[in-house]
Amino acid sequence: MRNSHDILSFDSEVDHQNAGIWRRMSEPHVLAWIAVALVLLFWEGVVFALDLNPIYLPRPTGILLALGTMLSSGGLVVDLAITLGRIFGGFAIALVLGTALGVWMATSERANAVADNFIAALYPLPKVTLIPLLIIWLGTGGPFMLTISALGAFFPIVISTVLGIRQCDPGMILAARDLGASRRHIVRMVLLPSAVPSIFAGVRLGLGVSIILVVAAEMVVGKVGLGARLYLAGQVLETEQVFAVLIVLALLGIIITKLQDAIDRRLSKWQTS
Amino acid sequence: MIQAASGLGATITCERVGLTYSGKTGTPVQALQDVTVRIARGKVTAIIGPSGCGKSTLLLIVRGLLRPSAGRVQFLDEAGRPTAVPRMATVWQSFNLFPWRTVIDNVAFGLELKGINRDERRDKATHALTRVDLSGFERKYPRQLSGGMRQRVGLARALVMEPEVLLLDEPFGALDAQTRLVLQEQLASVVERAGTTAILVTHSIEEAILLADTVVVMTARPGRIAAEIAIELPRPRSLATTHLSGYRAAFDQIYNLLRDEVVKAMVAEAGTV
Repeated sequence: MRNSHDILSFDSEVDHQNAGIWRRMSEPHVLAWIAVALVLLFWEGVVFALDLNPIYLPRPTGILLALGTMLSSGGLVVDLAITLGRIFGGFAIALVLGTALGVWMATSERANAVADNFIAALYPLPKVTLIPLLIIWLGTGGPFMLTISALGAFFPIVISTVLGIRQCDPGMILAARDLGASRRHIVRMVLLPSAVPSIFAGVRLGLGVSIILVVAAEMVVGKVGLGARLYLAGQVLETEQVFAVLIVLALLGIIITKLQDAIDRRLSKWQTS
Repeated sequence: MIQAASGLGATITCERVGLTYSGKTGTPVQALQDVTVRIARGKVTAIIGPSGCGKSTLLLIVRGLLRPSAGRVQFLDEAGRPTAVPRMATVWQSFNLFPWRTVIDNVAFGLELKGINRDERRDKATHALTRVDLSGFERKYPRQLSGGMRQRVGLARALVMEPEVLLLDEPFGALDAQTRLVLQEQLASVVERAGTTAILVTHSIEEAILLADTVVVMTARPGRIAAEIAIELPRPRSLATTHLSGYRAAFDQIYNLLRDEVVKAMVAEAGTV
């Protein structure tokens, strides 16, 4: 793939002089993993050399062992599944409702006028501030978790849907009408598909907020889930377990980001810019 | 290359058609005034005029995509009796293809709206693409094609609807001069064989003469009809037609009518700045 890195980089000239293993190790993606390994090695070495108490800073090997135990017998898989269910359950609700409201706002001046003030008030509000109120109304169970997750993703999705549909080329709508499209057809077969890249940008933002909110809510009131696990482990000074949960959360982030990148690549097949 | 649709369509009459819309500052802008014109059944009529004279607007009104603020459009059968609105399809200056659909799915869009099943859609769309020499490009996305190829997709998308009236809105306006020449010749032969009614909006005198049986010259805004000129050059027409003495005479006649209007349009445009 040709990108700005290739054009800016002078590394390729050096490559010709280096041979064999050095050349392979200087490849960007290999280098990236070598750097990770070096940091872990350094960490392990420092803890060993200074003989630090694992309550303050456990060794990477200790963390890995703790992670292994938690996965095999400690129920971490169940916690992970519950957290994922909450994140994606709420996110799915937000995706359906958010796109629907976005389409409605973008195609009806009245709907837009009515909804606009509410969105302007609620969108910039940090959603964690709603946690106390939601607990009073919904308790701390499943409905609360789904609501807080949906609230996080809802606003970015609404706003990006409205923007995406407003950017639709009016010429395409004329062409669709010329070919016999009804209003319904135009929404479903022209406006929505044309807004997909923009909606997806909102999905990216929204899913990130959902993850933050669910984990934060679990830390505050959860009995199960990764956030609850993290908080409880911290309470009893099981620092290795704290790190283990953090690793799971980080891996989750990586997987979700890579999936989103893959969807972006698919979309860019037809996008003009 | 293309079969005539079931009928030759209808004679289209515009009676004192006018269009006024409110401009940016709220002042009414008169785009069309008292346009009375007869588009003969089974013939190609070109509408030519200075830019901004409302010729594309007139096309939208005939297609029923824009409601005139005065006058009416009627469709007449052989005997001159009012008849139902014929099947119409438009080819657009900016192509207006759907970028998220492959070439074949763009062509099949209108058929999909009609509820035609997948197999039949594919057959008809494939056939239409053969008619415009685009076999083998079915799975490409519009962005992967050149401008000339995109417009041929636009033409196929219109032809697949088996229109009785073909509306061409500056179909080659966005293309370079060479591509334009080749496509003009191709379109001339398509239209000659089809024998359908066609309206061609253009600002190219050459294009109008090569394709049309009648050239309607419009004035600067507000657009009115300045003259109707019958083109009686032999068919099939091609680039060689431009060397005939009749071509020169028609060209000069249209040019002299247009020149004054183009100057008027330029003065009017300068006045609004």
